[in-house]
Amino acid sequence: MSNEHAINKEYSIFQIAINLIITCLASGLIIGLVYYVTAPIAAEKREISKQESMKALVSDADNFKAVPDKADWFTAEKGGKVIAYVVPGESRGYGGEIKMLVAITPTGEVIDYKILAHNETPGLGDNASKEPFRSQFKGKKEANLTVTKDASDKDDIQAMTGATISSRAVTLAVKNAVHEVTEFAGGK
Amino acid sequence: MKEKWKIFSKGLYDENPIFMLCLSLCPALAVTSSVINGLTMGLCVTFVITSNNVVVSLTRKLVNPKVRVPVYITFIATIVTVVELALQAISPELYSALGIYLDLVVVFAIILARAEVFASKNKVFPSFLDGFGMGCGFTLAMLSISVIRELLGSGSILGFKILGSWYNAPLIMILPAGAFILIGYMIGAIKLHNAHKEAKKIEGSEA
Repeated sequence: MSNEHAINKEYSIFQIAINLIITCLASGLIIGLVYYVTAPIAAEKREISKQESMKALVSDADNFKAVPDKADWFTAEKGGKVIAYVVPGESRGYGGEIKMLVAITPTGEVIDYKILAHNETPGLGDNASKEPFRSQFKGKKEANLTVTKDASDKDDIQAMTGATISSRAVTLAVKNAVHEVTEFAGGK
Repeated sequence: MKEKWKIFSKGLYDENPIFMLCLSLCPALAVTSSVINGLTMGLCVTFVITSNNVVVSLTRKLVNPKVRVPVYITFIATIVTVVELALQAISPELYSALGIYLDLVVVFAIILARAEVFASKNKVFPSFLDGFGMGCGFTLAMLSISVIRELLGSGSILGFKILGSWYNAPLIMILPAGAFILIGYMIGAIKLHNAHKEAKKIEGSEA
């Protein structure tokens, strides 16, 4: 025991505290500086990627406008006319929350969707963002947005093999979005 | 000069963080499903470990040995946060692909180990080489795992299709389990190679 003390020089608690304080102060300062520089760039990038993903969903739109009293809702306009709504959709999939953007015409037809974040099984559930599952939604109305496993049923959405839960979740999110848009557009 | 090279090169093979020390396997399983993710992760870790080694070495006489671990962790956390902020500004897609594993770099055993074992006792330049070598070894391992996984699991490399549509990709290569099996085989192969080399050496000295 006494030997250990001889090796370890005694330090006052004050010295130790000063050491930690200086480290933390310097750390905070550096992070603050870097954030000051990168934050505007990151925000700009996010805005651009948002615009781009909306553009990819509604390719003939020339302008996107935020809907005033709905958070994260956008209207896609072409020559001043509203041709589509781009709204966020959400539901629980196989591996957790699935977040997506859905583009819907004012008459309540699905144009396309984009999955923003998901935790589905790679190779099975994550095929939801790929063909041929995705293109099935094009032009579908609320009534036909149900998942079927019957291959002869051409009106509804064909489930992905091995990923029925993911298929249902995506379809439900799209359906809810369509429902909301129909209500919103119809009520105007 | 030879000594310096040795400090650098031991991280590449003899003490490769993944294949030899079996450290940081968790991100090695999680983010190596595509080459670009594996490579970005490798480069981030290289940057963090190199700059952390430099900072630790610079401050080795100032830091109180009683609180050295919290101080080192603060250093690492600061550097990782800086990397994250930069990555968010440069490429948000990569940032979201790496997700939680980028935060986890803070607690990578290999980084703290290099700070403790090497940088806190050595001058700045050797510490830099040590960190850089370890980082390169890590990147090399991540790269080789992710190349094999992406090729077998999706039939592509860096997103370019290499194998045609006839190739029915086995799902397991994309899943973490596939990575685990693959790493096992790779470690096995390396061990086999080493044993082979060793045997040859003994044979040579006897002859």
